[in-house]
Amino acid sequence: MTTLDLSKPTTALKSRVQLVKWPRLEPTLVLSWLVIALAIAFALAPQLFTPHSGTIGLAGNQLKPPSAEHWLGTDEIGRDVFARIIYGAINSLSGALIAVTVGFTGGTALGLIAGSSRRVVDDTIMRLVDTLLSVPGLLLQLSIIIILGFGTTNVAIAVGATSVASFARLSRAEVIRVRRADYVEAAFGSGGRFLNVLWRHVLPNSLGTVLAYAALQFGVAILAIATLGFLGYGAPPPIPEWGLLIAEGRKYMTTSWWLTVFPGLAVILVVLAANRISLALRARS
Amino acid sequence: MSNYLLSRIGQAAIVLLLAFAASFLLLQALPGDAILIKYQNPEMGLTPEQIAEIRVLYGADAPIWVQFGNTVWNFVQGSFGYSVQAGVPVRDLIAVNLPATLRLSSLGLVAAIALALLVAFAATLAPLRWLRSLIASAPSLLAALPVFWIGIVLIQIFSFRLRLVPVINPNEFQQLVLPVATLAIPIAAPLAQVFIRSLDEIEAQPFIAVVRAKGASRAWILFRHMLRNAILPVLTIAGVLFGDLLAGAVVTETVFGLNGLGRVTEQAVSNQDTAVLQAIVVLAALGFVFVNLLVDLAAPLIDPRLNRKIGAAA
Amino acid sequence: MTFSSFITRRTALKLAGATALSATLAFGAMAQDAPVTGGTLVYLEQQAHTNLYPPSGGFYPNSGILNQITDKLTWQNPKTLAVEPWIAESWEVSDDAKVYTFKIRPGVTFSDGTPVDAASVAKNFDTYGLGNKELGYPVSEVINNYDHSEVVDDLTVRFYFKASAPGFLQGTAVIGSGLVSPATLELPFNDLGDATKIVGSGAFTVASETLGQSLTLKAREDYDWAPASFAHQGRAYLDEIQYIVTPEDSVRIGALLAGQADIIRQVQAYDEAQVESVGYNVISAPTRGVNNNVSFRPDNPLVADVRVRKALTHATNTDEIVSTLFSSHYPKATSVIASTALGYVDLSKELTFDPDQAKTLLDAAGWVVGVDGIREKDGAKLELNVYESLPQPQNRATLQLLSQQWANVGVKLNVLAGDSGSAATDNLDPAKTPLRPAMVGRADPDVIKSNFYPKNRDALLQKGGLSDKVQSFVDADLNALLEKIASEPNAEKRLGLAGDAQRYLLDQAYVIPIFEEPQVFAGAPYVHDVSFDAVARPSFYNTWLSPR
Repeated sequence: MTTLDLSKPTTALKSRVQLVKWPRLEPTLVLSWLVIALAIAFALAPQLFTPHSGTIGLAGNQLKPPSAEHWLGTDEIGRDVFARIIYGAINSLSGALIAVTVGFTGGTALGLIAGSSRRVVDDTIMRLVDTLLSVPGLLLQLSIIIILGFGTTNVAIAVGATSVASFARLSRAEVIRVRRADYVEAAFGSGGRFLNVLWRHVLPNSLGTVLAYAALQFGVAILAIATLGFLGYGAPPPIPEWGLLIAEGRKYMTTSWWLTVFPGLAVILVVLAANRISLALRARS
Repeated sequence: MSNYLLSRIGQAAIVLLLAFAASFLLLQALPGDAILIKYQNPEMGLTPEQIAEIRVLYGADAPIWVQFGNTVWNFVQGSFGYSVQAGVPVRDLIAVNLPATLRLSSLGLVAAIALALLVAFAATLAPLRWLRSLIASAPSLLAALPVFWIGIVLIQIFSFRLRLVPVINPNEFQQLVLPVATLAIPIAAPLAQVFIRSLDEIEAQPFIAVVRAKGASRAWILFRHMLRNAILPVLTIAGVLFGDLLAGAVVTETVFGLNGLGRVTEQAVSNQDTAVLQAIVVLAALGFVFVNLLVDLAAPLIDPRLNRKIGAAA
Repeated sequence: MTFSSFITRRTALKLAGATALSATLAFGAMAQDAPVTGGTLVYLEQQAHTNLYPPSGGFYPNSGILNQITDKLTWQNPKTLAVEPWIAESWEVSDDAKVYTFKIRPGVTFSDGTPVDAASVAKNFDTYGLGNKELGYPVSEVINNYDHSEVVDDLTVRFYFKASAPGFLQGTAVIGSGLVSPATLELPFNDLGDATKIVGSGAFTVASETLGQSLTLKAREDYDWAPASFAHQGRAYLDEIQYIVTPEDSVRIGALLAGQADIIRQVQAYDEAQVESVGYNVISAPTRGVNNNVSFRPDNPLVADVRVRKALTHATNTDEIVSTLFSSHYPKATSVIASTALGYVDLSKELTFDPDQAKTLLDAAGWVVGVDGIREKDGAKLELNVYESLPQPQNRATLQLLSQQWANVGVKLNVLAGDSGSAATDNLDPAKTPLRPAMVGRADPDVIKSNFYPKNRDALLQKGGLSDKVQSFVDADLNALLEKIASEPNAEKRLGLAGDAQRYLLDQAYVIPIFEEPQVFAGAPYVHDVSFDAVARPSFYNTWLSPR
């Protein structure tokens, strides 16, 4: 969905940095970090934010509109929607985090090896990466979920697996760029061992752009998990997960809009925040 | 150049073959099988012996490497096998559904590019600073919405509330307008970001000031230079967009109840109809490889500077 | 009977007894006006049809189509549940219910011009009763003990059975016994997935189809063989019916209310209020079969003990499920089969919600509450898995409520979501799925056998049934009882046996009935006289559209 311009990530950004004069304290960036911090707080200590249960409903209390008692209304079996969102944070965030970790570690490892190895190895790895890119991502995700079984972690792994290829391409390009830099050449020249140079110079210098991409992917992963929920491949009930809440709540869109709108807002806020942070990371690298 | 072409085609063939083998293994790893799913349904009333007979009929009882050989041989001959669930040759299934999806996704791509250009220009040319930054942040917002949600909201607003476009018994145009919009919005978002960056870059270049001093209109200069400068990044992500379009088609076709390859894919996964999935993977890989080949070959024509890089690579 | 009185169905039931239900619903302000001929009915269906071999007609989308394009030998009056003449003018049944002779109404033709005569009817039932291995046709679940047919003369056909088959007469009235042209039955089974290949003698014929998306039926001008007891004879009032597959619930309901469609199937209970608030009609009909339930697989050691199953029955609060998730169209279950079904006995005393008794039973069975609140015995936790059933209304929410209720007595119920492939595979393995949601609609006591007999749907998964994963569970007493229902020629005794079967099933606590499943439609106010057969399958023969 959101794609980074892989061809010239740095030039475009540098010009943007020169062009836009950010004020010293960037309010949107601060706000973004606040959103993420709140989401993390929800995930770590949900009970601090709501007296209601995230999974158990109260019969007779179903489909109530937002009120003082239930700020964001209740769902079809009488569960508090705000509590569902708060208790869902851990699943959504950890799902996205797992997805990004899988893509990031797998992709960066492949890209690092490809970018710093001989031609044959490089070609072999990059053809494998092309292959991965050529298989439709959604099909790959669905197949992986079926093979691994349903569940938040497995869905996240499936989503992560499809981003391995783009991480690999990006990190390879970065490694090649950094390798050509004078100080790295110098490190090799002064007799540095290959792995050592890779670890001390190449990896840290190529990581910035990749990290920015990872932040971007964080938002993409949340959306991908939501789409899988819509297609019926989400986490099993009664687990609250934001994407699944949107997907399930859509059935009630005309009668009980709060079921799908509020989780949708939660996703939008977190994705926007992740994108904004990604932008800041890129600007710094 | 011809050497380069040959090596690119060779690489493409390797990717295609790998995709075929990898997907074959992946599909074999699925836990259920289509025959079981379809025929062990109690309503069918078949005995285990009868199901075993059907299995032989579909050649699903052979060892896996024999099946792999058979599948390769069939594909080489242009036969994609039989869909267990639909009970028709996979080739027919694809022939019926491919045109609809191609139409939807090509229109979606065109609409996405148009929308992205519109947003990019508005973000650069709008009169007020706050308005410009508001428009510039629109793509991030659009990219933060799940596709299925966009589709359902569009239907609710434009079809049911405003009653502008019926979703039931629409004419040719009405049938496509909402699905194309649904598909286009999330794809337009990253494109718009690329365009906005590209416009910023152009504006920062010194020659712009010179041209403007000579009296050319700002919009016209931007438009002319933008087109040339932005095509390349768009082409580069075209290969990636290809996958997004297919994923978008799955969701869009499901929401709008349209027939097409996306819906076929989703149903084939659910029923583990491996013959259909194998064909779709090969088709998608073919499309991917082809698009990327085209992009690689076309890029130097658009930006001659790239010729040098290719010369070095080949 | 008008629509408004239909709402108070439960009250009406108490007064009038189990079967006093009108099938034809005249609703809207102009119900007393004369029907208008002409027009197209736009019908939104939730799912695409699958194979249209008539015995596969139980699937709702299939029956919605088959019911318009095929006729049956007999017609079961949904008010009285009596079997009345249709394509068969009259019939004779031998005392032992082993020989059936039908006299066929002259002048009936299939839409391809072939006469509906003794030979074609014989070919239909030979195929349904015996299947066809070469072409891949399975045996119909409504026909038991079939042996062979005999064409006595042009319009007289006789069927012979290996053993008594008292359910056969009613079996000729169900969707699964729709008559199709002999040419249709010569096609390979897979070809019948294409609706245009199904040639029947019904009031409508298939004009065109876009597979998986839409289907158009056209009225047959020369149709003149509606059931004799119908006031309306001759061609159908509608010119055309357009079926459009619209999977999204919100799109179906939105399109109806925005005037883009005339009638939609599968209206969820939570959408009923918004339909009625704008003057549209919610139309529901009972399926009169095995209630929506969860069935145990006693082969799984966790639920092998009858005390555990009984405990879970008492831990289930069906009132809460029905009042939270459903509407007045979904009565709470009071037996294995619906209160509108033939042979129903009220067993609500067995199905009381009593958590204390549930706890006592679980304690007695040796399951003690562990530290995490889940009961344990010999190191095993009382943790059960169940897959949601997508076609059943609100099944995901139902199972989640059930899971909450069972948690109160220390039993963990995991509701699994799964792709249909994994679900189909796992649902055949009692070790993986100790219970499963189920329901079947058919207005004959045979329906109990259809659901539970190992050679039919095998809801309990017995050894020798559908699954080869079953270790040892067989209930010979139950199977003998079910066989008796299928072969007892005396109608009264048969109903008695049906009662015994219900008692036995609840005595063993093999199933937990939840609610009586209806089919719920919503229609525009100008749509009149949508009728339903005895198991809630719609018929549009009498339907007409008043000017909007």
